[in-house]
Amino acid sequence: MATTKLKLLEEWNTLHKNGPFPLKLLYQTKLEGERIMPKKKDRYNDVAKEIQRLIQETKTAGEGFRAYGSAWSMNNIASHKDRMHYNGFMNISMPIHAGDCHPDNVYNPDNLFLFECGNTIKEISETLAENGKSLKTTGASNGQTIAGCISTGVHGAGVDVGSVQDYVVGLNLIIGPNQEDIVYLEPESKPALSDAFIQTLNARVIRDDDLFYAALVGLGGFGFIHGVVIEAEPVFLIKRYVKKIKKSSAFELAKTMDFKNSTFVIPEETDANGKGNRPFHYKIFINQYSNETDCVVELMYKKPFQEPYPDPFPVIKESLYRDLIYLFVKLAENLPKSIPWLVKRLRKTILPVVNEETTGMLKEIFWDAPYQGPAFACSFGINHKDSEKAMNLLGKLTRDEGPIPGIFALRFVKQTKATLGFTKFPVTCMIEIDGVLWKKTRKIISLEEYSRLMIKALQANNIPFTIHWGKNSDWEFSGLVNHMYNDNAEKWKTQREKLLSPEMQDLFSNKFLKTIGLA
Amino acid sequence: MKHLKLLIILIIACTITSCYSVRLRNINGTPQPDPFSNRDDYYRGMAVVELDTVIKINTTSKDFTLLIKESDACESGKLNMVEYRNTFGGLLLNTITFGKKRKVKIKYVCEKKSN
Repeated sequence: MATTKLKLLEEWNTLHKNGPFPLKLLYQTKLEGERIMPKKKDRYNDVAKEIQRLIQETKTAGEGFRAYGSAWSMNNIASHKDRMHYNGFMNISMPIHAGDCHPDNVYNPDNLFLFECGNTIKEISETLAENGKSLKTTGASNGQTIAGCISTGVHGAGVDVGSVQDYVVGLNLIIGPNQEDIVYLEPESKPALSDAFIQTLNARVIRDDDLFYAALVGLGGFGFIHGVVIEAEPVFLIKRYVKKIKKSSAFELAKTMDFKNSTFVIPEETDANGKGNRPFHYKIFINQYSNETDCVVELMYKKPFQEPYPDPFPVIKESLYRDLIYLFVKLAENLPKSIPWLVKRLRKTILPVVNEETTGMLKEIFWDAPYQGPAFACSFGINHKDSEKAMNLLGKLTRDEGPIPGIFALRFVKQTKATLGFTKFPVTCMIEIDGVLWKKTRKIISLEEYSRLMIKALQANNIPFTIHWGKNSDWEFSGLVNHMYNDNAEKWKTQREKLLSPEMQDLFSNKFLKTIGLA
Repeated sequence: MKHLKLLIILIIACTITSCYSVRLRNINGTPQPDPFSNRDDYYRGMAVVELDTVIKINTTSKDFTLLIKESDACESGKLNMVEYRNTFGGLLLNTITFGKKRKVKIKYVCEKKSN
């Protein structure tokens, strides 16, 4: 049997210390050992029963329940004041075979894998690499669990790829304590797994497009995500370039996404006519405190996998003195006017090295991000055509109302089909400021006040936007979700009500969902 | 008084500059997590084993080997990262005992068990 340890607590915090948030009880469940239960599927089904036992226990106590993974979200989306469950030890992976697929399956079965919720992006990438495969995209690092990624819409900068949820094929959810409460959900328009295979997971199959795309970015509100079936692709290499170019050229590319006819060309990345190739990834870094006419951009191009390739890892990585980061925070809080000077001094740590070229697999390019102290990030999704206007607006606001201890970056992501996916624009520009977390003083406004001003500025300038579900914002801002998603917010709620009993809707609702009016 | 100040500054400088960490970390693999831990350093969220002791080395011994065994804090029995810390006190102890006593300050994190 899978075993659960518990700890009574008064509060819980995220990895980046964006809390603390209240909590009574923290569970962690470990799988039965391989020696006692050698078959993966037996261990997978066994731990599902244990999760159902915990759900029943929580229900009997009249409390709420929320699963979480690596705690990378920077707000209270992953927290619950009553009971929380750490998923990280639930990390089974299974390949899907041709015989496991639905008769109408359109995917190459070799590319399909089932990953249990607690697998991190790094673990998944390594499992896939052992099979000659790769994820299609990841976030900027690799520590998030797969369930956490899709629940909050984690994205990279895949211009033509999309976010992590966009390569999910099906979801295995635990929506209550009863036998019929284990379900496997996939779109009716694109079934992948056979009923016979789904039955081996003791799951009831639901094929429904509206329900699937609502649950895909489910904000933790669609039950316990036990397993995720994803579509991988054959392993590939990425060549990464860091260049310094005119801001006007960088934003022209952001606006048009026309890399073919741009005046900015990387000589090694052109077609037979000397026109620029379309990159896999495009990112612009903007130091809003600098008057320079140039900015740093990062471009990555997809290449066929071939060995050997230059080692993408440095031999030695140095960390900043933690005391130096705390000093930065203290200076920011008490002498905010020093922030632009400090940002300039730390640019070598904050920004990538110009003219750097790296080649590696996706999992090597987007590698570990060691913990470096309390951090914040505010991230808005906007139409790519609005990126320059939004950057000018938010940059000015940050200078006028701050300065704030962070710098901006813009990434560009293909549209998602998820009902509440924040990458909802045809090409979404994710404009983000991140940096060290500070406390409000007489001299510097709070993060909440800063977030509120950004929302107001975008609204006042008629720039449609969304906000990254896992980042900092003024989530209590009146009418925020309806402003961002219009009818889709109601559609999401309707689908949730269709799947979960009223009791389970309560059990899987937390303060975050209540604050934004989705529960 | 002036000399005393200089001496204090010298001692502080020696103490700070002689403290350093060397960390070995795998490119692959994931550190074993510990959701019940509340650390606030590089190892936040990880299951860290800390060893802070003084060992005696026989005159006939060239080195010593620490065996990492499977345990709750190291479920896989495989290492993911190791940190060795050198301190001024450790250097001093080594010097005044002519190398017979060595301060050992190690942190290690094991691999997360794969399934």
